[in-house]
Amino acid sequence: MKKRAVDERLALTKFEVYSEPHIILRRDKCRGCSLKICLSSCPAGLYTLDESGETKFSYEGCLECGTCRIVCPENAIEWNYPPGGFGVQYRFG
Amino acid sequence: MSEKYDVIVIGAGPAGLSTAYFLADKEYNVIVLERGLEPGSKNVFGGRIYSYVLDKYFPEWRTDAPIERWVRREKLSILCEENSVNLEYQINRKPNGYDSFTAFLSRFLKWFASKVEEKNVTLATSVRVDEILFRDGQAYGVRVGEEKLEADYIVVAEGANTLLLEKHGLREKISPKDIAVGIKEVIKLGKEKINERFGLEDEEGSAYFLISPKFGGGFIYTMEEYVSIGVIYRPLFNNNVEAKDVIEELKMHPSIFNLVKDGVEIEYSADIIREAGYRDVMLKPYGRGYLVVGDAAGLTLNTGFTVRGVDLAIESGRLAAEAIQKTSVGEEPSIYMKLLLEGGIIDTLKKFRKVSKILSNQKIYTDYPEIICEIFSKIYTIEEYPETLFESIKKVVGRKTSIIRFMFELLSMVRSL
Repeated sequence: MKKRAVDERLALTKFEVYSEPHIILRRDKCRGCSLKICLSSCPAGLYTLDESGETKFSYEGCLECGTCRIVCPENAIEWNYPPGGFGVQYRFG
Repeated sequence: MSEKYDVIVIGAGPAGLSTAYFLADKEYNVIVLERGLEPGSKNVFGGRIYSYVLDKYFPEWRTDAPIERWVRREKLSILCEENSVNLEYQINRKPNGYDSFTAFLSRFLKWFASKVEEKNVTLATSVRVDEILFRDGQAYGVRVGEEKLEADYIVVAEGANTLLLEKHGLREKISPKDIAVGIKEVIKLGKEKINERFGLEDEEGSAYFLISPKFGGGFIYTMEEYVSIGVIYRPLFNNNVEAKDVIEELKMHPSIFNLVKDGVEIEYSADIIREAGYRDVMLKPYGRGYLVVGDAAGLTLNTGFTVRGVDLAIESGRLAAEAIQKTSVGEEPSIYMKLLLEGGIIDTLKKFRKVSKILSNQKIYTDYPEIICEIFSKIYTIEEYPETLFESIKKVVGRKTSIIRFMFELLSMVRSL
């Protein structure tokens, strides 16, 4: 058993990916934030910094835990669940 | 979906299904709306359910519920840098009903949903409720996309992420310091390896409560063929490890590695846990036309050693069903609060009200475990000129804090638990 990167681990979980993101990052609000606690607290590691230092987010591997929505100090994350039947589908939850 | 129902339940988790079950018993026309493909598709928990609540309401459950193993080993494990300090409670005689079993919540909810459907409750999956409909302060239905569905009562069982309640101003967004993220991985090991490594017989299970200075709290539950291993991650702690990596860190600890090595990882999951306890209970978990149950209402409990989610969720659902029966349509189901108080849920939460403060104190996971690790390492490492136990304690504790302060903190901790 070796250390796995989070992407490898996410590949184990079943997703029904919807065509549009269920989480939208409000860049204007996000930009002024120095804390960026979303980067370290997303268990799927979906928040990353791009080359210009701005936060980006990919929704496909979202575990729908809701942590980012609660920890974001700027309320910069517009968070909803994916439409019915889409998103993560746990078999061993 | 144009029919009018007596009750619409939002969410097919333990609390929502329970409400539906007990209402259907009394001939109510109930529909449960679940956003997952199947009941249980969106639910995550650690791995244990307490039996008493099922014994009370589902006498036949032991014959057909998806029970993985009966918990007979309770272990508290402090993970030191390399070594670990363990305390084990062995349950050798079968307890009289007050036992617990390990399970996968996803599977358990499928079983529970089948019991609910036997009672002619309609269960609609892949349905996300977008809005609760109110008219003059009275909830009268829900909106799903363009469709509207009406009922006399709406039961909100949306879980720990209270999106709908917040949308309608019925609950404030929880503070980040009051949440933890439960991050879990399920590993397939096979029955023999599990029995051998955890010291179990067939059908016997173990529940580990882990404490680590590196990443806080954690757990291991043994299933029949699998092991569920997880971390209770607190985003606001001064963490050394990012949330996405904590599971790997945990598995790489020598004491844990030996338990799960050459297993096959099969699923990775996460969910938030509301950790504020009594403070988090909704002051008014009802209004005209609606009631709030389970996690959404803050009606679940972490006592520090045991986590009581499913059993209390089922209880609150049952009481919501009873409140609906005892209320005339159009009036406030205020009797719900009275039932919660009489049923003991709120008193139990109140009793453990100081626990959340302890669990949110990072020292619990760092200073104290480190002190314990060092003391044990000193006791069992034989040097030419050994120290007495008292000398060791004095030295180790003295480096972190004063002895008196340590004793004082320890005492106040014990009294809160």
